[in-house]
Amino acid sequence: MQALLSYDQSPPLGAPLRFFLTAPLFGILAGLLLLWSGPEALAARWTPAALALTHLITAGFMLQVMLGALMQILPVLLGANMANPMRVASVVHAEITLGALFLVAAFLSFSPWLFKLAALFSGLGVACFVGSAALALHGIASTNPTTQGLKLALLGLSVTLVLGMLLAVSLGWSLNLPLMLLADIHLGWGFVAWGVVLLAAVGYVVVPMFQLTPAYPGWFARYFSFSALAVLVLWTIAEFNQWVFVSAMLGTALVALVVLFAGVTLSIQRRSKRPRFDATQHLWQFAMLSALAACAVWLAARTFPLFDGWTGWPVLCGVLLLFGGFMSVIVGMLYKIVPFLVWLHLQNLGQGRVMAPNMKKIIAEREMNRQMLAHFASCALLLLAVWWPLWFVYPAGLALLVASGGLLRNLLSALSVHREHRLKIESLICADDLPLT
Amino acid sequence: MNQARAERVIDGRSMEPPEPFVHTMEALDTIKPGQKVLLIVGREPIPLYRALELNGFSWQTERLPDGSVEVLIWHRKS
Repeated sequence: MQALLSYDQSPPLGAPLRFFLTAPLFGILAGLLLLWSGPEALAARWTPAALALTHLITAGFMLQVMLGALMQILPVLLGANMANPMRVASVVHAEITLGALFLVAAFLSFSPWLFKLAALFSGLGVACFVGSAALALHGIASTNPTTQGLKLALLGLSVTLVLGMLLAVSLGWSLNLPLMLLADIHLGWGFVAWGVVLLAAVGYVVVPMFQLTPAYPGWFARYFSFSALAVLVLWTIAEFNQWVFVSAMLGTALVALVVLFAGVTLSIQRRSKRPRFDATQHLWQFAMLSALAACAVWLAARTFPLFDGWTGWPVLCGVLLLFGGFMSVIVGMLYKIVPFLVWLHLQNLGQGRVMAPNMKKIIAEREMNRQMLAHFASCALLLLAVWWPLWFVYPAGLALLVASGGLLRNLLSALSVHREHRLKIESLICADDLPLT
Repeated sequence: MNQARAERVIDGRSMEPPEPFVHTMEALDTIKPGQKVLLIVGREPIPLYRALELNGFSWQTERLPDGSVEVLIWHRKS
């Protein structure tokens, strides 16, 4: 039996993998930044180190994995094939990596030309990706919630990028723009329209598939992305017009939608057919609980003026969302996506004569669990560092360094399984003069 | 009811990818022309169709009321 899977629906392994392997390097840089800057990184939302730390995770770690995963998901799930996927991957990867590095350097130095370079490279990278994705999606009907959600998420990414570029350009050329307002709207679009909508759209497929849960309820999958986008647009209008009460109500509605997503995900996870949770499920569960905690902090700050007066609450919210929420869920997804891709490509290379290794052996379960515990420890230490920065910021930085290093090592171990197996296939098949596909 | 028409039935609804694919291909290795394999999965297995096409099989897909999908597979007549 040849047992070939389709290559024409899957880009070369190097296309998504370069993004996945770069992401942990940004996690390592975030750990080093915490060790270098000390308590300043978590002192308040607007310190240079806090802004640099935030963007190492969002424009660095998260963006790398999200775009890498889309390179794979668009053709395989939606049949939206990008033209020249390797060339697009190389260009986008180089541009967004440089863009994120320039941006972090710009926040730490407040050098205008670094902001200009950050805007240029991030702008080019994301525009190149969104343009290629839009061309690939042209003519693909939005017949299911995943397709609808992915299209809306790309719109969310575009708006987030434009607002981010506006902020960077304004800092680069000292323009007189309302920076705080733009930054809030940039954050709203990045978090909800890009982050949560993308996560939900991908989750509709990968949660039931890899976690053996029931499907997301039909009503939720049909309306969630559109509702989130509609409320976000209204909230943006209210923010621009400074309609304080309306904006607060719409902001609360957005948070309620995030609570709904986390609640529904936890509810279907509880009905998983798997007798024992694996690392991916633990990481997803931790992420959803962190998101719920972040929403509770946000609502508490909006309800109790005393709490709102504490400068630490936005930092607490940020740590819960970025490290506890997005970073956890992304690590959990990488532990399914990367072994699956390695398996898929080896299965095709083997031409049915050399079977691909068992997917569960591509990254050792024990190593994934150890890295997961290091990640949980780094999240706990970061939370403690929000209250007691002098005591906990250095252990938190060290833990983040260890967890990100562990993630990189685990992903590289999957790559080394691919290399070893490829050599085995080459020696067996090329000896018979059969061409490798 | 497809189950009665198949020699081998693989219920992939409680399996994680790529196990339904691997088990289906192993089962297809064991059937003779005229015999059939039935795969039951939670969603339509699009990548499997291409593999079946490449490997000389025909298939028929049926969606069940609970949202599951049954794929009945047999050797393509040459």
